[in-house]
Amino acid sequence: MTRTRFGETTLGKTIMTCADFQERLPELFETHADLSADEHLKTCENCAALVRDLEYIAQQAKLLLPIHDPSPGVWENIRTAIRNEQGSKGGPLKPPVPPAAGR
Amino acid sequence: MSAGPTESKPATHQHLRRNPPILGEAEAIAAAQAGDEKAFETLYALHKRRVYSLCLRMLGNVAAAEDLTQDAFLQLYRKIGTFRGDSAFSTWLHRLAVNVVLMHLRKKGLPQISLEEALEPSQDDGPRKDFGGRDLQLSGSIDRVTLERAIDDLPPGYRLVFVLHDVEGYEHNEIAEMLSCSIGNSKSQLHKARMKLRDLLRTGQRKETAV
Repeated sequence: MTRTRFGETTLGKTIMTCADFQERLPELFETHADLSADEHLKTCENCAALVRDLEYIAQQAKLLLPIHDPSPGVWENIRTAIRNEQGSKGGPLKPPVPPAAGR
Repeated sequence: MSAGPTESKPATHQHLRRNPPILGEAEAIAAAQAGDEKAFETLYALHKRRVYSLCLRMLGNVAAAEDLTQDAFLQLYRKIGTFRGDSAFSTWLHRLAVNVVLMHLRKKGLPQISLEEALEPSQDDGPRKDFGGRDLQLSGSIDRVTLERAIDDLPPGYRLVFVLHDVEGYEHNEIAEMLSCSIGNSKSQLHKARMKLRDLLRTGQRKETAV
């Protein structure tokens, strides 16, 4: 494994360090760049493992769809609160509309 | 940060994929704006799960999450007249719910770190670099419960951005608007959150293998 914490120069060619690569990583993820072709990853198992893990975490997170509902009592409380608000104003159920609002 | 949602720029195509139009939603919104209680109940039925899920993930407590879900929908009732349809209704409602959660966290003094601290970029607070640790690989090893638990252990600021982006599928520009922070800040927080999650998950794995 090539561990390149500090910049190295070989025959005039600058090698990207792990620090450089990881600095760029958020932007690389954001642009959905194809990281399999990245030169640094071809030679650095550590950064390759990091990328695999972060991609895996993001993939798994997408599967965490909401599966729980609030209990039925929540809607009952909301309805009661709305009716109380309206009752204190002495009118029918009607959301307050600010003067400047509207479609 | 603002206390309530404001209209945003038009939704992107990416956004529409994550928040497809819901059949009957537009009619329910219009009717609820006119004061129809049944229509408001329909909106509640359509969106309660996502709002509750966000509250539950941010608070980790069923009773508190239900209280905030109630607060969020009461806010919706008070503000629905200001919704003009410039952005997806679910995004607009989510922004409102996020604000309810943020206000609650502020009142509680944020148990782990302050949200402002978490959301403010700091020059020496960049994502920790990883130059070692070749012993474990996460791929294929995390189940839902483990990941949910690790997300619960994230600091609130990281957790919020991670949930909004990676779980709920919001774009950075939408998150920036919801949290009144910059897009760069949202990106930075997301990266820190993922790095922190990796740490938490690897630490958990090490403990398991040590037993």
